[in-house]
Amino acid sequence: MENYMLLAPEIILALVGLTILLTGLFIGTNNKNILGYIASAGLIAALCLTISNISVNETMFYGTITIDALSQFFKIVFISVSLLVAIASIKYTEGNKSTDEFFTLLLFSTIGMMVVASANDLITLFIGFELASLCTYALAGFEKNNPKSIEASMKYFIIGSLSSALMLFGISFVYGMTGTTSIPGIAENAGALAASPIGLIAVVMLIAGFGFKMALVPFHMWAPDTYQGAPTVVSALLAAGSKKMGFVAAFRVLVIALAVLSPTWQTAFAALAIITMTLGNVVAISQTSVKRMLAYSSVAQAGYIAMAFVVMTPMALAGGILYTLSHAFMKTGAFLVVAVVGYMVLSDNKNAKDIDHLDNFKGLAKRMPITAFAMMVFVFALSGIPPTAGYVSKFILFSSTIESGLVWLAVIAILNSALSLYYYARIVKYMYFLPASGGKVSEPLPYAIAIILALAGVLVIGIWPEPFVYWAMEAAKVLMI
Amino acid sequence: MAIDSLAFLIPLLPALAFVITFFFGKKMYSGGALIPIGAIAISCIISILITINLLQNPEVVVHQSYPWFAIFNLGILIDPLAGVMLCMVTFVSLLIHIYAVGYMSHDPAKPRYFAETALFTAAMLGVVLSDNILQLFICWELVGLCSYLLIGFWYQKPSAAAAAKKAFLTTRVGDVMFLTGIIILFSSIFTIYNGNLPEGIYVLQFNEMFKLIPELSAMHTTILGSEVSMLTIITLLFFGGAVGKSGQFPLHVWLPDAMEGPTTVSALIHAATMVTAGVYLVARTFPMFMGAPDALIVVAYVGGFTALFASTMGIVMNDIKRVLAFSTISQLGYMMLGLGMGAVVGMEAVGVSMFHLINHAFFKALLFLCAGSVIHSVGTQDMRQMGGVGKVMPITFITMLVASLALAGFGIPGTQIGTSGFFSKDAIIETTYLFGEHTGNYIPYIFGIVAALLTSIYIFRLLFMTFTGKARTDYGGHESPSSMTVPLSILAVLALIFGALTQTKFYRFLDETFINNFVHVNIGDLAELGNYHLVHGHHGEPLLILWMPIIVGVAGLLISFLIYYLKVVDMSKIVSRNNFVFKLLYNRYYQHHIFIEVISLQLTYGLSLVGEFIDRKIIDGIIDGISDGTIAIGEIIRKIQTGVVQSYATAVIAGVGLLIILLKLIVEVQ
Repeated sequence: MENYMLLAPEIILALVGLTILLTGLFIGTNNKNILGYIASAGLIAALCLTISNISVNETMFYGTITIDALSQFFKIVFISVSLLVAIASIKYTEGNKSTDEFFTLLLFSTIGMMVVASANDLITLFIGFELASLCTYALAGFEKNNPKSIEASMKYFIIGSLSSALMLFGISFVYGMTGTTSIPGIAENAGALAASPIGLIAVVMLIAGFGFKMALVPFHMWAPDTYQGAPTVVSALLAAGSKKMGFVAAFRVLVIALAVLSPTWQTAFAALAIITMTLGNVVAISQTSVKRMLAYSSVAQAGYIAMAFVVMTPMALAGGILYTLSHAFMKTGAFLVVAVVGYMVLSDNKNAKDIDHLDNFKGLAKRMPITAFAMMVFVFALSGIPPTAGYVSKFILFSSTIESGLVWLAVIAILNSALSLYYYARIVKYMYFLPASGGKVSEPLPYAIAIILALAGVLVIGIWPEPFVYWAMEAAKVLMI
Repeated sequence: MAIDSLAFLIPLLPALAFVITFFFGKKMYSGGALIPIGAIAISCIISILITINLLQNPEVVVHQSYPWFAIFNLGILIDPLAGVMLCMVTFVSLLIHIYAVGYMSHDPAKPRYFAETALFTAAMLGVVLSDNILQLFICWELVGLCSYLLIGFWYQKPSAAAAAKKAFLTTRVGDVMFLTGIIILFSSIFTIYNGNLPEGIYVLQFNEMFKLIPELSAMHTTILGSEVSMLTIITLLFFGGAVGKSGQFPLHVWLPDAMEGPTTVSALIHAATMVTAGVYLVARTFPMFMGAPDALIVVAYVGGFTALFASTMGIVMNDIKRVLAFSTISQLGYMMLGLGMGAVVGMEAVGVSMFHLINHAFFKALLFLCAGSVIHSVGTQDMRQMGGVGKVMPITFITMLVASLALAGFGIPGTQIGTSGFFSKDAIIETTYLFGEHTGNYIPYIFGIVAALLTSIYIFRLLFMTFTGKARTDYGGHESPSSMTVPLSILAVLALIFGALTQTKFYRFLDETFINNFVHVNIGDLAELGNYHLVHGHHGEPLLILWMPIIVGVAGLLISFLIYYLKVVDMSKIVSRNNFVFKLLYNRYYQHHIFIEVISLQLTYGLSLVGEFIDRKIIDGIIDGISDGTIAIGEIIRKIQTGVVQSYATAVIAGVGLLIILLKLIVEVQ
């Protein structure tokens, strides 16, 4: 008998999602606000259940699903991001008649990500990947009357399909050479794959598939356009949540299943990590749209996390895993701030264009002091300044890189961090040192709550990192068998 | 014990009060003053309860330590030494906060004032509570920052801004020495353990540091041809930090200028608490000083010289707060002198010196608050424009008189009758005599006794010039509100009776700090390492020696009475004549000029010109080049992002192809 309690978070989210869809049919647009509260409540319940099962280690459904420290850690990341997005979206979707679809898609995409985190079989993994992707394609195009949103969604969809095809191609090679899709099974039979040139091709195909989600250069090109065009709350979900799906998949498939091929993919990740962080940071400097700048910053951050695959010591893996959690809070928070600023600009002038332009951040400290302070913390966290989560994660990741002798890689990463400070500090300059162009505005409550929660996450991890490092170490242990 | 588990609240509550008052003080009563007052009151109660517990069971110290980031421990240590400091800091701070409600009532920036004093209190409590030297240093720096902010509280005044800068830069010299000391200490410990620091213990914790004193003392290094113990270097660097913070010669120059801040700040920071941090540091690490040859002698000489040197300048100042500032420097010199006497009396020196520290905190806070009360009412700080203030401000006059008697150390030797300053200052002077008796070196004693005479002269000069005689200008003063006079009265009572009540108990209590306790040390062994010969059972100094301090005290009173009350000698003639001694003293021995004109302007300015050239032309050139280059590259690369989805798909496929080729090449090479 399977212990279904372990899947309770997914089951609850599925039920809540269906309930929202069904209820949405019967209530008027003005009352649809309540759906956001239901979704948030469901996510909180799922979060609590996941945390309560944090130290479980079991496989289910004939070994296709595994519940272990790694899966639980990533599920917490996914649910946290979705929760923050859901709370903020209560305001965003206000008065929209498609509110029910929005929250249903959000919950289903969360389930997809959670399935990927738990997948112990390539087929399960692919299904989770597709579930999450299809939902987010639709979410990115949620603003049906906004051509930019539609464009964002289309680009995302086309490149996403291409990447799915590549990933499936890679999976088929792996299956063909090892005769199984089960991840532990592949690990046992990977010898044949390693001996043949097909192994290399399979690895590159898989990296291309995962790299699309992670937004590694050169598979990142959809990301800036999509993050900029999509509704800001959805950008937060994509940059902070769905991106991590690529990492957990790569951890499971490459580190566990294809461990024998590690020389190949370590080299690949070394090249990709360096190109990704450098290109991300350099291009971010010349952006004037804050959303686009955050998109490139998100690309650069993926480059840092990818270092974990190059170093491959338990400490580095823990650092990479912790980074995904930290990044979830700081990036969600930053995008939500952009969303609030957009709200502010639109409330000044209904027909404003370029609502995510850097100029709109001028004097934000005067207009919305709490939001400006939160943004300052988020960008400082992204650039790795203590006492924030970003600092702790970078410290662990970079110091483990140095310890394992890859000093050159650490130097490149640190130089990149220094470079990134330029555009992060520029936002702070705009917010605090340039004159404001309007009066004080009070943040809508749902946005404020979501931003404060994200802020709390960033600061708690930064000031008291021990328990989080411990969890990340536990998760890393799953990978080191 | 339940109360021990609340110890962490002692610094935390004022820190929280800082945050709340800083951000939300504007809308509250009196700029949110009640929040720091409440927080510090609770801290004070907890401190007193813990200290009472310690009084009953001195060996049950409060010690909690939490590792944070592997190289740094957050810890709390409350032993008798820390306990008495905690009570003093919280209590004085509480009274001054209450007083400030009245004193600062007309200032528009009250929230900032109360927030910063609350932060200062938190930082100072952090210094006292720290169980390791690194945490102590961090709080020490925070204290320095608060001092900077509060001296420059009226930053619109150029003199205040300059004074703040001067204080910050001067104490920084000491701070750098302190930090260097910590670094040398850590690297020496690293060497002792051969690079393998033991797991589970934190080597910079005081008790762990003290365990290593024999090893540290055995390490030597050669400086200028003579062999010096590592421990001496470390302790002298620590003392360098103390010299900066506690205003000892030659780094005392910032303290008189620090009087530019509000008088309450002067009372809290630059008289009662922060400046004693240096003395506390030496007391805290006293076992290390005991084990370090020559270190205590240096402490004694610097302290004794400062006591004398500062009191000479106190005689000629006309600004009421400056007189008190020089008095503070001089009294801090006494405390250092007392600590230096550990060379003959061992750990008892800590008791003697700390006793003076506590008493000084009470009577000096009182002196400053009385001065503040006068300034608040009269509206000037210049004593030449006062006179006869005693008639309009009777409470202030009486409390000021009590404080002056305490500072001058009036009392009857051999009995339990006397002001608090009498018991503590005389104890220090007696130990210096003992030092002279056993080493044949009477210089510290002469420093002590001459400074006592001068102390009495300058404080009664202040009293007569301010409170007696006829009003020299039309200032129209009034007695201060009760929120100001009540703290004055409380402090006056303490200045009067605290010494008599607690003297013997206090010494015994503080002796427990290092004996049979958490930081357990064997004083005899340490003194042997440090090459000091301790004297035991010393009582029965000649009667003249016992009476000497009080004789010079009365002499000082008489001199001031004759000159400033009866006006036997016309002081203005001496002053107006181009009297060399007067000019030398009034210009503070031209030390300021030497620092500013020779060291800062000639030496530093020359160096900074060179530095500026390198920075502007070479380093900035490189940096600007890199940044321009990077931005230009960014502009080029962003053009790759065409927005055409076909080219994105091409990039994906090309990426896959390139990766395969790249990996194929690398794998084949390997």
